[in-house]
Order: sequence, then C-alpha cells, then structure tokens
Amino acid sequence: MPQTTKEPGPQSTDYDAIVVGGSLAGCTAAIMLGRAGARVALVEKQPDPKAFKRICSHFIQASAVPTLERLGLLDRIESTGAVRSRIHIWTRWGWIEPPESVPGVNLRRELLDPLMRETAAETAGVELLLGHTATGLLRTGDATSGVTVRDQGDEVIALRARLVVGADGRDSRVVEWAGVDEKTLPHGRFAYGAYFDGPLPTNAPDSTIWFLDPQWAAAFPTDSGLTFYAAMPTKERLPEFKRDPRGELISFMANLPEPPPIQAERQVGPMLGKVEMPNRVRKVVGPGLALVGDAALATDPLFGVGCGWAVQSAEWLSDCVAPALCGEEPLERGLSRYRRRHRSELRGHAFFIHDYATGRRMQPPERMLFSAAVRDRKVAEALESMATRRTKPVRTIAKVMPRAIAVNARHALTRRSGESPVAAAHAPRRVGE
Amino acid sequence: MSTAVEPTPFSIAGTQTRLVQAGPPEASEAVVFVHGNPGSADDWAALAAAAGEAGVRAVAFDLPDFGEAVAPAGFEHTVLGYATFLATALEELGVERVHLVIHDFGGPIGLVWAAMHPDSLASVTLIDTGILPGYRWHRLARIWRTPVLGELFQATATRRAFRRLTGRNEPRGLPREFLDRMYDHYDRRTRRAVLKLYRATDDPGAAGTEFAALMAPRDIPALVIWGEHDAYLPAKYATRQRDAFPSADVHVLPASGHWPYADAPQTVERLLVGFLERVTQDRANQTPNVPQSPS
Repeated sequence: MPQTTKEPGPQSTDYDAIVVGGSLAGCTAAIMLGRAGARVALVEKQPDPKAFKRICSHFIQASAVPTLERLGLLDRIESTGAVRSRIHIWTRWGWIEPPESVPGVNLRRELLDPLMRETAAETAGVELLLGHTATGLLRTGDATSGVTVRDQGDEVIALRARLVVGADGRDSRVVEWAGVDEKTLPHGRFAYGAYFDGPLPTNAPDSTIWFLDPQWAAAFPTDSGLTFYAAMPTKERLPEFKRDPRGELISFMANLPEPPPIQAERQVGPMLGKVEMPNRVRKVVGPGLALVGDAALATDPLFGVGCGWAVQSAEWLSDCVAPALCGEEPLERGLSRYRRRHRSELRGHAFFIHDYATGRRMQPPERMLFSAAVRDRKVAEALESMATRRTKPVRTIAKVMPRAIAVNARHALTRRSGESPVAAAHAPRRVGE
Repeated sequence: MSTAVEPTPFSIAGTQTRLVQAGPPEASEAVVFVHGNPGSADDWAALAAAAGEAGVRAVAFDLPDFGEAVAPAGFEHTVLGYATFLATALEELGVERVHLVIHDFGGPIGLVWAAMHPDSLASVTLIDTGILPGYRWHRLARIWRTPVLGELFQATATRRAFRRLTGRNEPRGLPREFLDRMYDHYDRRTRRAVLKLYRATDDPGAAGTEFAALMAPRDIPALVIWGEHDAYLPAKYATRQRDAFPSADVHVLPASGHWPYADAPQTVERLLVGFLERVTQDRANQTPNVPQSPS
C-alpha cells in the first residue's frame, strides 16, 4: 500500500518542484527548472553520487544534442571521452550510409550519470537529496502536493511542492501511486549486451546497426576505446541465450554479415540482459504532477531513443512549466502545454516504434523505404533524420515515399539487365558518399 | 576464404560421378559432404578445400543423377537407395571414420547412413537439415509429389523461372553463378530423379524420434548451421537437433536462407573449420598413440 497522506486545505510549499529520480531525465529537469529560478528538490534513492543506470545502450540520438548543448554539458561530455557517432545500417539490400549530419553521442552511463548529477548539485536552487527513497505522494484534494521520502536514517520526511515530477523510469512508482492512466503494449524481443575492449568495429567511431529483420544487433563504440555490443533477438531465441549468454552474444555478433571483431575482443564488465520490456504509454500530466523520460513513455530500446527522449522531455517540461512556477501563470496551463508538446513530438515516433517492437518482420512500406535508402542518398538522408528523431515520421514518410518508389522501380528495371541481388548486397560500400 | 577444389571425373559403385577431394588423400578419417536437391559436388568445393587446408581429408561427390552423375540402370531413387550408395562410396574411397556434413535432402540420406553405421560417425555438421519431427513437406515438394503436376512443373522450369523462384525465397538472393550452376545441373535426368525421390519419401519427419533415441546416448559432436529465413526447412528445427545430438553447437544465421554456404560462405567456413579443428583435436588428445592407418 503506498504511503499516501491526504492533507486538507492549502499548504505552504517547501519547493516549487520535487523531481523523483536523479537519472538523465530527472537531472535535466532539475537543472533547467533551477536555472529558471525555481526551488527544486531532486530525490535520488542511490546514496552514491557515482551511481549509474546499468542496463542501457547509452546512445544519445542527434535530436537530443541541442539539449545537451543548452545544458552546457556537451563540451564536458566530450572531454570525458564521449564518442560522436553517426549510424551505419546493414540491411539485406546493402548498407545505408549516414549522411553528413549532427552525430549522436556515445558515453557510458558510468561516466555520464555522475556528470549529470554533479551538474544538478552545482545548480543554484537545486537541492540534491541523495540516499532518499520516495515512499509515497502527498495529496491535496485531487492534486499531488508533495512526496514522502525516507532518508538513510530511516526517517520519513514529507516534502511539499507545487509540482511533483516523476522521473523514476520505466517501472515508475510515482505512476503507480498517482494512479496515472497507462497503456502497455507488447514487446516481442529481449536484449543482451556487454562492453568489449580490443580491435574496434569497421565503422568506428560510428555505430553500426544490423537490421536482420526480425533480428537486430548493434555495435556502439564509446569512450575509453570500448565498444558496446547489443543483440535484440526475438523471444524464440531466448532459451539459447539463457543457456550461455556470453557465448551466445559473441556467436550472434560473429555470425552477422560483415561481422565486428568481437571474437578478438575481451569482455569488460558484466553481461547485461533484459527479457521483459513492454512499451508503456502514460498520461504525462495530472494535477500537480508531470512525468518525464521513461516514466512518461517507455519505448522499445531497439531504436535507441530512451536517453535522448529523457533529456528532451525534461527540457520541454521545464520550458512549459517554468513560467507557472515563477508565478506568471497557473500551473495547469503549463502542464497542459507540456502534454501537447510531448504528444506532438513523440506520438508519431512511438507509434512506429511500438508496432515494430512486437518482433514482427518489416512490412512492405518499411522494406520500400529501407531498400531505397540503400540506393539513394536523398532517401537515406530522410530516413536518417527520422531515425535520429530530428524530423517527425509521418511528414518525412509522406515526403520521401514517392521518391523511394521511383528509386526502387528504377532499380528493378536496371537489375533485369544482369546484376544479381546478392551481388548488389555485397557490392563495395559507398562510404562517405 | 579457401580456393575451391575442382571436381574430377570418378567412378563410384557403378556410378559415373565427379569427386571433390582435398587434404591427405589416403586418410581413413575424412569429412564427407553430402549435397541436397538440387545440388552437386560443386556446392562443397570451397568448404572441402578449407577442410583440406586444416589438415583433414575431405571428399564430396555428385549423388546418382545429380550434378553430372549418371545412375546405373536399376538404381533405386529412395533415401535408402542413396544411403546405400553413400555407404558403398565411402567403402571404395577407404573412409572409415566420417565427419559428416549434410545439407537439405543430403540430411535424410546422411542420417540413414549414420543410423546404419553409428560407429563410423565421428561428428556431424547439419546445414539446414536434420531430424524434422512433425515436418510437413514444403509447397514445392508437394507439387513434385503430385502426379502430372510435378511433371508439368519440371517441364516448364526454364532457367529464368528457376532463377526467379529460387532467388525469390532467399533474403539476400543468391549469387547468379550459383543459381546458374544449379540450373545447369538440373537436367532431365535430375528432374526425373527429384520426382522419384520426393514421391518415395512420404513423411520427411518419419523415424526422427527413433533416430534421436539411437543417437542421443552417443552424444556425437555436432554443429548445426541454419539460415533463419529458410523457406523450405524452417529454422525452428535448428535447436531440435539436440534431441539427437545433445551437445550440438547451434548457429542460426540471422541473414541467411536455405543455402548459407552460398549467401554467407565466410561464416559457414569459419564455423565448420573451427568445429573440425576442435573435434579432430579432441580425438587426437584422447588417443595420442594410435595413428590412423591408411586403408
């Protein structure tokens, strides 16, 4: 039973906002709200400032790079050793090479999380409460008006604020306590991954993704000369992975077309695995409550959007509610603006991600787009901007689909004159074209 | 990648066939490749060379009425007929200890041979084949098995139709030269043999359970390679091979179809050579003072 205290009547508040969860989304929200002049409590259950999220592919999409810049963190992230990566995609039609565009960011969470938390702690107006576990919500009428937390001395403290921000991830307790509406969508794959040290994959410093349809694998070169290898097979392969996770990950990667040199590398750190990861879609605001990051929308990690959307959604929230927290408008108006922004930015992407997350194979329009992207630079550019979440899918697809159809029709006509499909799939790569 | 070994004309068990051979020619321990339908000794030229370079004798030949081989009069086009041919061929070639490598219809043939000669089986490599409990014939096989329709299909299988039909089911297509060679060998004799062989094989999954019960206690080293997108023999059977070979090393290649040695040749070569090195090494360690005597 959640420890929820109902308090009648208006209360004076300790803070303008309480952020529950001091990971990427929580820290970003706290930093930005603090800088906007709000008094913020950032509640994090881990007492160690160097604590970090372990099961994460850590790739930050290009869409979130402006947010990192705005946080003033991009330079620090790069000087900590981050690798700036574009993505090369293997498909059965050949490689989709990335155009010259904004690269994403690869930095292990082991280094990124402490950096974020340190920045939050340094921000004026932000009080970082490490080792404090949220135990329930305070309510005033129907509205959320605070959080109860237990400190390391087992003492329960009631913290009051005008806004509570749930940034406590995919399995959010805040969502549970507040009784937020939630939709759970099935996920047909599982994930295993690990860091390896040794020779780098061919495309390094760029990342590589193999769309094996329906299987999926990726190599993310990151700081310290390490590479994170991840496999996301469909569930019928789970028994094989459970038999021998390490052996199976290595052989899965080594058996890929144009495989990375994983067999010549040494594993660093533990094997990471996650079997159940249903997509969770939540109503992102309630009275006195807002959700950010995975707590708001937990999608399939296959498309690597989790980290980027964590910081971006926190940025949107901060921009939307800062005026209200500074007393310029009612909070509801800010929250409503955030709800619309979140929906408008992510709904289209989430729709396509959730649909593919079932573990199904690509459908004809997807095959059309991917194969055309192999053959045509403009289609590749459109696909890249959509995949790095810099443009919205419906608009992008509507714009590029006629070209994709034309490209493939031309390809089909010219192929009749001789070239075999497999020869095309193995043709020399058009790197940097 | 190893350079392929060219097949040479050879006569085995009254059948004019072609032999691909690599490695020490007199060794009684050999890797024996058995092709499927429509296949030939050419399928194995590169892998045989790779096994030879790894120091193991490798042999592959056209099965009667496949490739360029001509079956003698009265040859029985059944799994048992082909398995008997395989037994005679290995006897004539002086192969006593067999590392069996089988693909497609070479699977039932090789496994029936193995059931008849379990003591000669040193290891087995199953490429898109093996025991198939509960398996129902794929669509093409059902066509072949239907009187008149099968003949009609075979009569109308032009090079272009063959290329399209075969390539269409493959995730990445197949190399043009591979498809053309397969079609070159798909002559009238082979087409007739295919009809006879498929019509004589009512249940491809038959005896799988009995075979597994016979083989499993022996725990013979096994390598399973299966193309995930195999349109004829589903990849779900890959792990089922552990019913017969409990310690099997199973690899389902996520971007391959029915012919992994054609669409992922380097991966198949790496897996096979690695496996052969392991099993021959293990055996050498077990029996350090017993040299293999040439027959």
